[in-house]
Amino acid sequence: MTKIVIDPITRIEGHLRIDVEVDGGEVQKAWASSTMFRGIERILLGRDPRDAWFFTQRFCGVCTTVHALASVRAVEDALNLEIPLNAQYIRNLTLICHALHDHVVHFYQLSALDWVDVTQVLKADPKKASAIAESLSEWEGNSSKEMAAVKNRVKALVDSGQLGPFAHGYWGHPAMKLPPEVNLIAVSHYLQALEYQRYANQVVAMLGGKTPHIQNVAVGGVSNAINPDSDATLNIDRLYQMKALLDKIVPFIQNVYVPDVCTVAGFYPEWFGYGAGVTNYLSVPDLPLDEKSTQFELPGGFIPNGDLSKFRPITGQKDENFRKAVTEDNTHAWYKGSGGLHPWKGETDPEYTDWQADGKYSWVKAPRYEGQPTQVGPLANVLCGYAAGNPLMIKWTDAALDKVSAIAKVKATPAMLHSTLGRHAARAVRAAVLSELALKQWQLLTDNILRGDSKVFNQPEFPKGEIEGVGFHEAPRGTLSHWVVIDNGAIKNYQAVVPTTWNASPRDAKGVPGPYEASLLKNPIADPEHPLEVLRTVHSFDPCMACAVHMFDPSGRKVARVKVL
Amino acid sequence: MSRLAIFGIGNILLGDDGVGPAVARYLDDNFDHDDEVIVEDLGTPSLSLPGYLIEHDAVIFIDAVAGDIPGTIVTYTREEIVAVEPGIRISPHEPSINDALILLDFAGAGPRDVTLIGVVPETLDGGVTLSPRVAAAVPGAAQAAVAEAARRIGGALVRRVVGAASQRPAVARPFTW
Repeated sequence: MTKIVIDPITRIEGHLRIDVEVDGGEVQKAWASSTMFRGIERILLGRDPRDAWFFTQRFCGVCTTVHALASVRAVEDALNLEIPLNAQYIRNLTLICHALHDHVVHFYQLSALDWVDVTQVLKADPKKASAIAESLSEWEGNSSKEMAAVKNRVKALVDSGQLGPFAHGYWGHPAMKLPPEVNLIAVSHYLQALEYQRYANQVVAMLGGKTPHIQNVAVGGVSNAINPDSDATLNIDRLYQMKALLDKIVPFIQNVYVPDVCTVAGFYPEWFGYGAGVTNYLSVPDLPLDEKSTQFELPGGFIPNGDLSKFRPITGQKDENFRKAVTEDNTHAWYKGSGGLHPWKGETDPEYTDWQADGKYSWVKAPRYEGQPTQVGPLANVLCGYAAGNPLMIKWTDAALDKVSAIAKVKATPAMLHSTLGRHAARAVRAAVLSELALKQWQLLTDNILRGDSKVFNQPEFPKGEIEGVGFHEAPRGTLSHWVVIDNGAIKNYQAVVPTTWNASPRDAKGVPGPYEASLLKNPIADPEHPLEVLRTVHSFDPCMACAVHMFDPSGRKVARVKVL
Repeated sequence: MSRLAIFGIGNILLGDDGVGPAVARYLDDNFDHDDEVIVEDLGTPSLSLPGYLIEHDAVIFIDAVAGDIPGTIVTYTREEIVAVEPGIRISPHEPSINDALILLDFAGAGPRDVTLIGVVPETLDGGVTLSPRVAAAVPGAAQAAVAEAARRIGGALVRRVVGAASQRPAVARPFTW
């Protein structure tokens, strides 16, 4: 038996440590551990609930916008405050563009190198690569000239002896198997993605005033002044500037990102057989369409044991089942206490031991839905949408599976989505769905403004005594919920149950492992010194440990440690 | 497109990691500049950092850097930054300034002219205030940024003079970012 520890030691302290025991070339046991205490919710205690979003969006630089929105929604829920339509649409468009940016960046910059071998690009024929790319979709950036230019760029990099941005890739690994031309297509699109993700971010900045860390939300609505006749406010001119950006982003998502994911998946069909792990799925309805937040563009709900026929919808933030179902267990987390506490009663009192396989081993608590470990993320979102009969989710899921089938020459089915590759495919499906909805939300906002509605805000008023609320958002990494208790207008308790907490959950009081841990079981390991397969499965969840320390370390310490014991 | 961008980087909820944004705020409060220059608290941009760099000719970063004596100000060149080799990424938080510059080098885009003004932190524990030694280093780090900016564009940042009419001392903004 071999034990492998993957422990990034970036910037003083790591974020996510993975320990696996390997026997017979397969993972037999796994532990996911967060190595850094944060507890930054405690900063909020005693503060004005109207200010909370300003702090919570600084939890994290990757998921900044989502924490702002979940926070105001939690306070609005506690006050039963309605939100003007313009504010709903502006928030929706912001959240969609944030998600499109995030999904594209995740695939190309964070996880593509798990599947793409950059050094193989040198063997690629640019003409052939161009022909393959053009057979997959219509896209202006697939010419043989473009492919040849990228190949030359890679050659210059390899000749320099430095692999630059690809130095941390496991190139040459026996588990890499894309044809040279597909590697070249992927690297070309990796470079193009750099440009297109910016356009999505520019829409966020135009609505939010600034990115990262938007400035335009408020408890009760948004602070975007609307006046079609003023140069200084949100007007028709600005709306059409946004539309021009959306018209660039949408084709990139549908004609580049989606086909790329399907192509990679088509060459690694065996990875539809690994990484299912926990198949209880949770997602929440999002993109509200009315002032009371009771109608949503995308459905959410709970699926037990991967059985889509048992899908139970969540109706909204007032859904009684949802409000009761979430608990957090500290048995194996470095906090006092053990039993599953509801977030409104949640405690964050640290109790550090060292890393103990059978004891406490993580700073992440173990969230449970109706007592069960539960997977969140685009896969949960897509499966819930599929089960609920959402037309866009069905259309894009079927289209993606058809594309994978054509390349892999095996019939890809929705059942195969319970897997490592299924999470990547679902993320691309979700992005395609959101790209269509971006245009729809833009239209709703524009039409509403042209009807003469310029309302963006309802004044919140805080009652005497104690109130509690939950705000949720289906974020790029999955279900995010903020739980707030307000006493006489001041925050008394605040807990953020973030997507990565669900997925990176440690074992609970019953010893049941969380989604990362369960998904790693039976993954093959070709070379324990280079555990690429572990990274493939962990990256497929798009892990994001809230609130990084962004310190630059000039000493050149190795940025991650892989230890084989 | 700007000729010069000055970016404070860091997480303002994690003690001295917020020194970059604090210096950006200090510059914003005390100095004027024209449209060719932008000063921004970039917070924790992580993987989207390359996108923020593309459109500028020159960039000056202010960030917390590893070191022994809290409050020390150290300046790094572009060459020194990119010499730090990126490692395996688990989460989107790992990429740093060096990753962003290395990626842009490969893409053939972004500023060639980059300087990092680093401040050594004392504590990165949760909290929204800087430790006394790091707080004391903020004006010095800001002055270093002003000097770096002036080397590129003469008089890029000009200290704001409090209007004689008001006869009031400059009042610090409330700490609300």
